[in-house]
Amino acid sequence: MKPKVAFFDFAGCEGDELQIANLEEELLSLLGHVEVVSFREVMKEHSNDYDIAFIEGSCTRLADEDRLKEIRKNAKIVVAIGACATIGGINSLKNYKDPDEVGRIVYGDKAKLFDTYAARPIDAVIPVDVYVHGCPINKEEFLHVVKSLLMGKKPDIPNYPVCVECKKNENVCAFERGEFCVGTVTRAGCNSCCVNEGTICWGCRGLVDNPNENSHKEVLLKYGLTVDETINKFRLYFAWQGRGK
Amino acid sequence: MKIIAKQDLAGFVNSLIKDGAWEVVGVKSKGDKYAFGPLDSADELRLDYDITLLPPKKYFFPQRETLFSFDVAKGVFTETSTAKPKIIIGVAPYDLVALLHMDEVFKEAKSDPYYAEKRNSSIIIGINIQRMTKWNFSAVMGCATIDHGYDLMLTDLGAKYAVEIGSSKGEQLLAKYAKNVRDAYANEVQMVGRKKHEIMNMGQQKLDFSPDLIPELLNQNYSNSQFWEKHSEKCLACGSCVLVCPTCYCFDVRDNPDLTLERGERVRTWDGCLLEDFAKVASGENFRPTKPARYRHRYFKKGKYLFDRFGFISCVGCGRCGSNCLPDIASPVKLFNDMYQETLKSGIEITPSTPPEVSITTEDRIDFVPKLATITRKVPMTANETLLEIQFNDGSELNHAPGQFAEVSVFGVGEAPVSISSSPTKKGSFEMCVRKIGGVTTKLATLNKGDIIGVRGPFGKGFDVDLLKGKDLLFIAGGLGIAPLRSLFNYVLDRRSEFGKVTILYGCKEPCELLFSEEVDSWSKRSDIVHKLTVDRCPAGECWEGNIGLITTLIPGVDLEPEKTYAILCGPPTMYKFVIKELKQKNIPDDHIIMSLERRMKCGVGKCGHCQINHIYVCKEGPVFNYANIKGVPEAL
Repeated sequence: MKPKVAFFDFAGCEGDELQIANLEEELLSLLGHVEVVSFREVMKEHSNDYDIAFIEGSCTRLADEDRLKEIRKNAKIVVAIGACATIGGINSLKNYKDPDEVGRIVYGDKAKLFDTYAARPIDAVIPVDVYVHGCPINKEEFLHVVKSLLMGKKPDIPNYPVCVECKKNENVCAFERGEFCVGTVTRAGCNSCCVNEGTICWGCRGLVDNPNENSHKEVLLKYGLTVDETINKFRLYFAWQGRGK
Repeated sequence: MKIIAKQDLAGFVNSLIKDGAWEVVGVKSKGDKYAFGPLDSADELRLDYDITLLPPKKYFFPQRETLFSFDVAKGVFTETSTAKPKIIIGVAPYDLVALLHMDEVFKEAKSDPYYAEKRNSSIIIGINIQRMTKWNFSAVMGCATIDHGYDLMLTDLGAKYAVEIGSSKGEQLLAKYAKNVRDAYANEVQMVGRKKHEIMNMGQQKLDFSPDLIPELLNQNYSNSQFWEKHSEKCLACGSCVLVCPTCYCFDVRDNPDLTLERGERVRTWDGCLLEDFAKVASGENFRPTKPARYRHRYFKKGKYLFDRFGFISCVGCGRCGSNCLPDIASPVKLFNDMYQETLKSGIEITPSTPPEVSITTEDRIDFVPKLATITRKVPMTANETLLEIQFNDGSELNHAPGQFAEVSVFGVGEAPVSISSSPTKKGSFEMCVRKIGGVTTKLATLNKGDIIGVRGPFGKGFDVDLLKGKDLLFIAGGLGIAPLRSLFNYVLDRRSEFGKVTILYGCKEPCELLFSEEVDSWSKRSDIVHKLTVDRCPAGECWEGNIGLITTLIPGVDLEPEKTYAILCGPPTMYKFVIKELKQKNIPDDHIIMSLERRMKCGVGKCGHCQINHIYVCKEGPVFNYANIKGVPEAL
């Protein structure tokens, strides 16, 4: 029997689901292996009978916790997809501002009508079995994860920094180009796609298990970033993971 | 020595490109840097480069390489066809030396066919160094110039190049494709000599001592943990230093199934010992768990372990590691100088190490393609362990020695090392006891009789059965450690009269985890073996009549004659030192303690680097070791 899969979205741009919808050729082969019972972005039907739940977006409201717990109860495997779901994403930047001020900026005088709290990744609310990192997710890695799950195997998600992929791809280091990059502490798996295109790593896949943040902050300062700029570099995607540090 | 004008060299390169028989690659610009890449025209060549981002080893040992493709349904394996042979233009002497080192590594004992094929079919046109980065210390390492290892070697002499011929292949190439080549005049030969002399004084990095002291200097500082901690404190564990290194060769192997889930390919990729999970096994145990230890391992591998094995220091001084390390802690010159000064202060005298007598022989080639095998019997043993009986589809025997292991493939999931549990006296098939722990073993446990898997092996050194003959044997098995020991134990039982007294101590965490329980029961019926069982604990509701306590608690009660007894150990990593302590209490000599070690054995042939403990490859020189030989190996126990 084909496993039933469902897609859910919380606070996020739905860019990850769009990546999946954009798989096109591979999507048909994939549908030979799974039955999609819920995917708001591409279909009307919905069912609560599913084996694998893919969750996009971060949790930013207390009310969303119940929905997440319900998904966890229904699913055998919960997969967080995209930076908002896996590491809190850029939504977590707001956690560093006064909540009232954030409310005012976004909702103006209607702020009181919106119930919101500090943005957090899915695993801050429910246990997550598998992570598909990235902002947005990488199609190849999504396919790798799905194939692995179908074969009953834990997906290979690297626990080394993006530098590994940059070196293999023979990129000129962003620092050598006079730019600043956080690939040294960011979990690889994206095939250093941003640096391959001549930009920098912003850290969307989150930190490796044991990042040497202090050393990297020293590197950023040594190469000429100010303390504030360095903090901002780290906050863009590591706001939740690096909280309290 | 020949001479060719620069425009004629361009013509030569262009005719090589035009011929189409080769893929012509060379050094080109990449941003402000340089990299080897395919040449469309000689105009792209930048032979005045300082260093390339990656060394040319990528053409022989690529970042990503398909070893073979598989199709589970058809059971067909096809080695991927090879591309056109390459002509590589612009290889610097230090990178040539590195390739010569790599040749030794990849041909030792078992030759790597993927590397060898590309290496043998390629033509290398070198260039003597014109510029160096500030990190380059190749002259210090004696690798800034070279008189062999190339097919042709160029030296820039202004409007012309001097061409040294290194091989008949090079000579023929030049004769066929180059125009206006003439013999060098005496003054041109002298000019080349002068250039080489200048190169020797070009580097800015200087070592405070002669590089032949490096092995012994390292040796004296292995346990200087303060030194390693201080120097590795800023390490980002990003692996840049090892990934750009021209002599690094560690690799990982993974399966990449396509969307049919039936077909796919097995891929080899670069790996690095600096990366956190490099020595981690499926159970989560990391055998090189600290950053200073990983940092130290890199220097030891380059400066000591490969020296002891091959007789060369595996650093050619290209300086790529230093220039790629953002916190600036990877330059060997800086580290070695610090180490040397610190050692001098402590009054220790460092003497040069004599290179070992090395004769590299190639017995065989590595076969990365597993043989197809079928599961002929499956016996669930506990909640986590399953015994599989396996037969090769071609009817062949595994022909293993007790204690050896094999690499088991579940196509699409990957390959994992599994010890062989059956005695070689069992013919027609072999047995493996598999614990659900990683991807491959978890999948193996779900397979059934009739399912097809792949097997490579047997690998490593097993138990020295001849040494044990006539001796009293004391088997000590902890948990899954019974699996490899069973291959010897059952061998001994099948040839019982050839051995002395046989005692087996077997312990596991809880009664429900006892493996081979029927066989264990059958031991009670035999008068020619003594066995004692223990569990760490017995939860309420479970029935247990044996001892309760760690396996070490059984040893004092064993009646043995130390000189006649060989103790044979296998168990979880933490078990060994406690068991050895008890055995020493019993006066068992060190060389009478034999043990099987677990590590991340990936390739099985001593190449990929994952299972290495200091200078030893567990997959090749183990997994069975005599304690006397490894008690001084710090990473062993």
